[in-house]
Amino acid sequence: MIAPFYKYGLFGDEVSLILAAVIGVGFGFFLERAGFGSSRKLAAQFYFTDMAVFKVMFSAIVTAMLGLFYLSWAGLVDISMVYVSPTYLLPQLIGGLVLGLGFIVGGYCPGTSVVGISTGRLDAVAFGGGVFSGIFVYGELYPWLADFVKSTSMGRVTLDSWLGVDVGMVVFAVVVMAVLGFWGATTVERKLARREAEA
Amino acid sequence: MNRADPRAWGINQKLAFLAIALGALALIGSPSPGGAVTINTQELADIVESEVDHVTVEELADWVVQDRADYRLLDVRDPESYARYHIPTAESVELRDLHGYPLYHNEKIVIYSDGGIHSAQAWFLLRAEGFAGAYILLGGLDAWKDAILFPELPADATPDEVASFESRRAVSELFGGKPRTGGGGTANPAEIPLPKVKPPAAVAAPRARKKHHKEGC
Repeated sequence: MIAPFYKYGLFGDEVSLILAAVIGVGFGFFLERAGFGSSRKLAAQFYFTDMAVFKVMFSAIVTAMLGLFYLSWAGLVDISMVYVSPTYLLPQLIGGLVLGLGFIVGGYCPGTSVVGISTGRLDAVAFGGGVFSGIFVYGELYPWLADFVKSTSMGRVTLDSWLGVDVGMVVFAVVVMAVLGFWGATTVERKLARREAEA
Repeated sequence: MNRADPRAWGINQKLAFLAIALGALALIGSPSPGGAVTINTQELADIVESEVDHVTVEELADWVVQDRADYRLLDVRDPESYARYHIPTAESVELRDLHGYPLYHNEKIVIYSDGGIHSAQAWFLLRAEGFAGAYILLGGLDAWKDAILFPELPADATPDEVASFESRRAVSELFGGKPRTGGGGTANPAEIPLPKVKPPAAVAAPRARKKHHKEGC
């Protein structure tokens, strides 16, 4: 049996929802254990004093990428069945900026705010309220935004097809980028910690 | 990181080394799409058997209505039939042009013809070339006409059937079709004129359209 199991019909909607709940709880648990239930830790990312968010996210990307690459190489995952969200360049750029702004101001991203709520943090509860009112306002404004949201559509784009190189080349480049990034992040952290100690 | 004694490496250094090693190995072991593939006939037979190789007309109608960009729809009938009518978002490709037609190996590709024979042949051609995401539109254009364009409500319909017919009526009208009610009416969908294809530009130059079709640059 090759993955993705759901798309190959190994189980149906109900089982996939149960699995989603189990995976979701696991994801939340490890976010909390990594300290991501605290807005202080998350906001520190943007002041380069604690690069844990960057490191965790990039580790996850590299792990998942290498896993998918080698599993598909071994014929255990049908990569063409894995969902790749279509690219809408301009709307996604602006959406990313809005999300980043909210991240700095509120100290959470949507996922970590749920983690914060689960441990009873009031700022996370307030943030969650903001998320849902934002969704509501967006929903109400959608008719005016619809044209923009669907503009600059590029379909299903992946780095290898866009750059015209082998998948393996992209895998290698991303790994090198990640390792250099980890090294750089740790250096910056140490430098700022030293400056803090001197001040 | 480049300390001479590997035993002095911490867990971070070891993981970084492992990642770089696996990344470097990926350069050689790339499962390059577009390379030669061996056809696993047993695997193909299993796929056919388990019926995961098709998409129903209802699913396709949903995708068209939702304006989804994550699939390609190929019409493998002759260009004249395509010009007369085709399912919205479809691209016209004849069987003999399928080899070399610009498709990506990681795309979801749905193929249809009038019935199922030509689309099944096209499906095998694409699978043989390693397009793992190829699907057949179940029942082809005939099923599309029967179920989506001209859905029929039998005279002796149960209340459940009547209720579900209302949503099918809406879908049918959206695609410019005409629902059939009462059973005794126009029985043969072939006698009902097919809706005009929109936009007309697509009919005039179906080949030119594919460049802009959903794929962007």
